[in-house]
Amino acid sequence: MEALKISPGFEKVMPQEYLELVEDGPYGRGLGVKDLGTFKELIEVHPLCAGCALGLSIRLILASLPNPENTVIVGTTGCNAILMPQVAIHNIHCLFGNQSAVATGLKRALRLRYPNTHKDVVVMAGDGGVVDIGLAPTMHSWFRREQFTTIMLDNEGYSNTGGQESGMTRQGVVVNMAPLGKKFPKVPLHEVAKVAGCAYVATATPARARRLGQMVRRAILVAREIGPAYVQIFCPCSTNYKFPPAESLKRAKETEITEYMVPEAKEWIERIEKGPKAEEVSNEA
Amino acid sequence: MPERRVVSPEYMLFDAPREKKYLIGNEAVAEAAKRANVDMAIVYPITPQSEATHIIGDMYAQGYIRDYYRGEDEFNVMSAVAGAAMGGVRVFTATSGPGTLRAFEMFPVWAGHRLPIVCAFMTRGVNSPLSIQPDNIEIGWLADTGMLIFHAEDPQDFFDMTLQAYIIAEQPEVHLPVGVCVDGFFVTHTREIVELTPEDEMLPPYDPSVSPVVAMDMETVPVRHMKDPFVMKSNYISYNTHASWQQEVRAAAERARKHIYKYMGGPIEVTHPDAEIMFMTSGTAAAQARVAMERMRAEGIDVGLVKIKVIRPFPEKEIAELAEVPGIIIVPEHNITGWLAREIRSRVNNNSKIYSGPRVFGGMTMPPEVIVKETKKLLQAGVAV
Amino acid sequence: MSTLIGLPKNGYRVVPGPEAYLSPSAAIMGVVLPEEGQGLIEGEIVPQEVAMEEIANRLLSARNPMLFPGPLVLWAWSDKAVAKAKALQDMVAEVPGMRIIPMPDYRPKYPMINPEVEINPNHPNLTIWHNNIDVCMFVGVHCHFANLALKIVRAGTDCYTIALCGERGHEDAMITLRDVHAEEVRKITETIKRVKMGRVSCQKEE
Repeated sequence: MEALKISPGFEKVMPQEYLELVEDGPYGRGLGVKDLGTFKELIEVHPLCAGCALGLSIRLILASLPNPENTVIVGTTGCNAILMPQVAIHNIHCLFGNQSAVATGLKRALRLRYPNTHKDVVVMAGDGGVVDIGLAPTMHSWFRREQFTTIMLDNEGYSNTGGQESGMTRQGVVVNMAPLGKKFPKVPLHEVAKVAGCAYVATATPARARRLGQMVRRAILVAREIGPAYVQIFCPCSTNYKFPPAESLKRAKETEITEYMVPEAKEWIERIEKGPKAEEVSNEA
Repeated sequence: MPERRVVSPEYMLFDAPREKKYLIGNEAVAEAAKRANVDMAIVYPITPQSEATHIIGDMYAQGYIRDYYRGEDEFNVMSAVAGAAMGGVRVFTATSGPGTLRAFEMFPVWAGHRLPIVCAFMTRGVNSPLSIQPDNIEIGWLADTGMLIFHAEDPQDFFDMTLQAYIIAEQPEVHLPVGVCVDGFFVTHTREIVELTPEDEMLPPYDPSVSPVVAMDMETVPVRHMKDPFVMKSNYISYNTHASWQQEVRAAAERARKHIYKYMGGPIEVTHPDAEIMFMTSGTAAAQARVAMERMRAEGIDVGLVKIKVIRPFPEKEIAELAEVPGIIIVPEHNITGWLAREIRSRVNNNSKIYSGPRVFGGMTMPPEVIVKETKKLLQAGVAV
Repeated sequence: MSTLIGLPKNGYRVVPGPEAYLSPSAAIMGVVLPEEGQGLIEGEIVPQEVAMEEIANRLLSARNPMLFPGPLVLWAWSDKAVAKAKALQDMVAEVPGMRIIPMPDYRPKYPMINPEVEINPNHPNLTIWHNNIDVCMFVGVHCHFANLALKIVRAGTDCYTIALCGERGHEDAMITLRDVHAEEVRKITETIKRVKMGRVSCQKEE
């Protein structure tokens, strides 16, 4: 937290956005989705399409980080990547698909350098990046029980490259590269995650904002203490699925919200959440 | 593990006592990683590299290396060491031939991210057909990734160059990845006398605060830094930024030159610089060419040798100057493409005197008599001198 | 063997532009970084004090001198950073008309950047204040990004660039000093004060 101070005297020249981040940002304050609108968020503007459910999900994720001042986000190619330069915490743009490998190295490095502080590493990537091109490192990070969180922003296709079929596209849907309709079902990665070693698995929607926030927060806290965590967020894409932007949230509701925890994770979460003040989770390892 | 003490790079390279050991190349490079105070090694099996990273695994078990694991494939290993380097620790990895190609997308990323990763390339043939045997075709491909590239001749070079690689890679104005290459089997599996520095002395730890880019730790410095920021908007200045970025990576390699002189004694080693006939070569071909040179000099033929230790940044001025003297320059190589001859040809004034060969590959050895014979054939044909 | 002192043999000089559609890196053109106790003026190695003197002259002669502090001094992430930030502000106070525009990060900012408020290495030539800044000084900018910006500025503007580096210096600046920490900044401030006094006394004599 000491590091988050502007050198005395330079406050008068720092851009307003930074002054607000330091004075009224979420760093070290244990804020959450319920506090949105009362503090300076980690993202001010973004260049995503109108009605983008992914943009909204990222806003909710950023508001749910338990310790944003000690969080690094690892992402990959996709719509979210063009938003990431605007996010006010450190983040890495990887090659397409290697984000979980990069996150593995990063998390282990930070653990070596800061043995007494939890440095949360959060992979945030699209469905193509996670389930297709990045499946091997994603699953291997779970097999190895790497202690970071993987969040899939599932918009059921490659939106940034022009709307192609991904493993998460539903069967029968006609999109680019599936001219006769997709020939196999949506990959049940949340089920795979459970058998692959994740200690926490959830499917969420930005249409249920507080629940999403709770899941992201739980995932990160479980990843710290117990094992890998996976959160899959349904983010309908109005641009490539060609529906009115105003319908995004209505469509986003049409998904099942699920939550799975191994017993140790459940015990850990209960212990934290039943504490005197749930928001005060120590950042000390 | 003995109690270890930190020593300066200069002391370790120039003043530390050396103990003679009888080691294969794979043992020598692991001994270097131990003395380099490596924080983390991430590895994947491939012949002929694996033995080195087994030994490094044992060093992890003994406590010399702080973290270590076997990754899922070379691409993801190279990605994971990048993540670790971005997190501010010193890393080591190694691979060979097909592994190099599997991982290739990451090498320009290392350079573009300005990550001082040291990777040993124990070169071997690439498919198809399958070969696990020595062949250094991959060095030619690696040369344009933005990495610094060293080419070791023997286990001693492999030990020294790996230590030198860390020291040069981490200079703040250089801060680039280094590939330390050797010809597989010929070096990795050949036992020779290697002079090692003491086992209980190690380099100072890596300091991420002097990096030319931000460490991804939210502390040095905090708040908003993207690694690396998108500069791909469709406009002139985005293209210009990307171009300038690439130039800066090459500029950083250029800045390595003075450190190469300081810590490696220069990018080349020259024997008989005024000779009429000059062998210019690298790696184990230099060892074979040295034997050929000695045999021919014994017969009264005026032959010299330039051993090129550093492929990137290429010693262009040194090579251009040396190339003025001889009547013919012969470039023996362990690959089919003749990448070293191509490098030399493009840097000298009169390049018609450069003879690219003899070249062997796919595991074939290069007996000195082949070099002698081909050289004599050229002389008889009146090609030069 | 290339010599490590003096100007590059090819005669390349690091001078204000606009230089080229795509400027070369000064390092590739043969400009080498200074050793300890040295600085660079337009690609030539000089003693540190000479470079400081030239910095003072350039700043005091400028119409619109500008400091571009980067994240390494904007943030109080270490005691050294805080001390250097203080020393820089004291320096700015000694240069008539000198202003500060920060470079808080290195991202391309959407939807646009306001060059009155902040500078960004990804499009510095758009942000040299519509080319009204005639002398600028980079401090506390991570070396990689400083070099990018310095080169783009040289390519597209006639701004005179000065880079004070905490590490090894910047060939792509017209004047650079290495190993600059709070103490060295204070030395520059003293030089500025002295040069200013000299100028005042010259005027009096006239």
